[in-house]
Amino acid sequence: MVENKSGDESNSGRNSGKWAVPTGRRTDEWSECLVLIGNSNDRASFTRFFRHFAPLIKAFALAGSSLSAAHADELVQEVMLKVWQKASGFNPEKAAASTWIYTIARNCRTDMFRRLQKFDTPLAADDLNIELEGEEPFTVLHTRRGSDRIKDLMGQLPPDQAQILAKVYMEGKSHSEAAAELDLPLGTVKSRVRLAIQKLQVQMDRQ
Amino acid sequence: MAKHHPSNDLLMEYAAGSLPIAQAACISAHLSYCDRCRRTYDQLQTVGGTMLERLEPVPVSETLLDTVLARLEDPAPLAYSGQTEASEIPGLLERLINKDFGQLMWKRVTRALSVSYLSTGDIQHEFALLRIAAGGRIPEHTHGGNEMTLVLEGGFSDGRDSYHPGDFIFRSSDDTHAPVALDGEDCICLTVLDAPLRFTSWQHRWLNPFLKLRAG
Repeated sequence: MVENKSGDESNSGRNSGKWAVPTGRRTDEWSECLVLIGNSNDRASFTRFFRHFAPLIKAFALAGSSLSAAHADELVQEVMLKVWQKASGFNPEKAAASTWIYTIARNCRTDMFRRLQKFDTPLAADDLNIELEGEEPFTVLHTRRGSDRIKDLMGQLPPDQAQILAKVYMEGKSHSEAAAELDLPLGTVKSRVRLAIQKLQVQMDRQ
Repeated sequence: MAKHHPSNDLLMEYAAGSLPIAQAACISAHLSYCDRCRRTYDQLQTVGGTMLERLEPVPVSETLLDTVLARLEDPAPLAYSGQTEASEIPGLLERLINKDFGQLMWKRVTRALSVSYLSTGDIQHEFALLRIAAGGRIPEHTHGGNEMTLVLEGGFSDGRDSYHPGDFIFRSSDDTHAPVALDGEDCICLTVLDAPLRFTSWQHRWLNPFLKLRAG
């Protein structure tokens, strides 16, 4: 069995680089690890990355117990192969390693659901991805600060709001499915989502 | 720059991957026009990344690591390379319609309105392009369900506001509206419906039995 390292070292790495590097480049352990994988196909870094993230991807696959253990392992495999194939496209100025791998895991899970349900579509979940390109350094930094803030504020969400976000993000439920499963009116779910978005200060620049 | 945007609720469901594919494709097309929503989407993805980091890890067997290491040199699957350069149509749509609007099969609904159905595989949603002749009006109508609209070319007005390329409009079942294309240019919109539309004015009600949802 693979031991999962606790998040302590990655957190300290992130914070130490926060103000020192004005371009917004991330210097946390996992972003650097991804850069090594991308630049030099470094298997040792990949193994380290796998040991940290595979158990989290497996937890993600099993959230809401929607996939069997065998499918969860298959998902871990697919996600980790994509990590290897796509690492050279990872830009530490734009995204945290965890957000980058979350997007891959989310898309792989969506495609796997569709495959299991024999859902026939010309589009893969990856096709719907929109990459931010040609951003001004200021915008990149601004976005970067925003995501650091989200990470810090996440632990302060009241449990009822965190619970809804977990249903939506980790279990892939729509707001109405979350409402049905938690036996709450849709309006309550929507207002908790709205409060969570305010609390996390998503889109400070909006209106 | 788009002035009308999807709600945060929709952007979050999109970021979490829980929107049906036809609706997700419409949001994705809006994001290709709109920096502001893309930034919001980015932050909403960070919420997902942060939640992933905070999950209780589930142990993975050492064999799985070996399997993955053994497969690292497998050739990567071919991927669609995204937006072709110098195109004003979002890359995703360009792919579904095979290049440009002129080559599509347009079906006439009224004198001012033609429709072309595209396939996303989503059996609960109709995903279609509407073409409204310059200055033409779509008769007043309502929907049994929800309607997403994204303006791709030209523009239209619904009495409340006017909408231009990149603008995204979400209407629920109780909204009645009668859009009029702006003068000078045909208006092309992407629409995603989860129930057939219903004309409400007596002159056009006879069309209703012929309007079926073309999902798939």
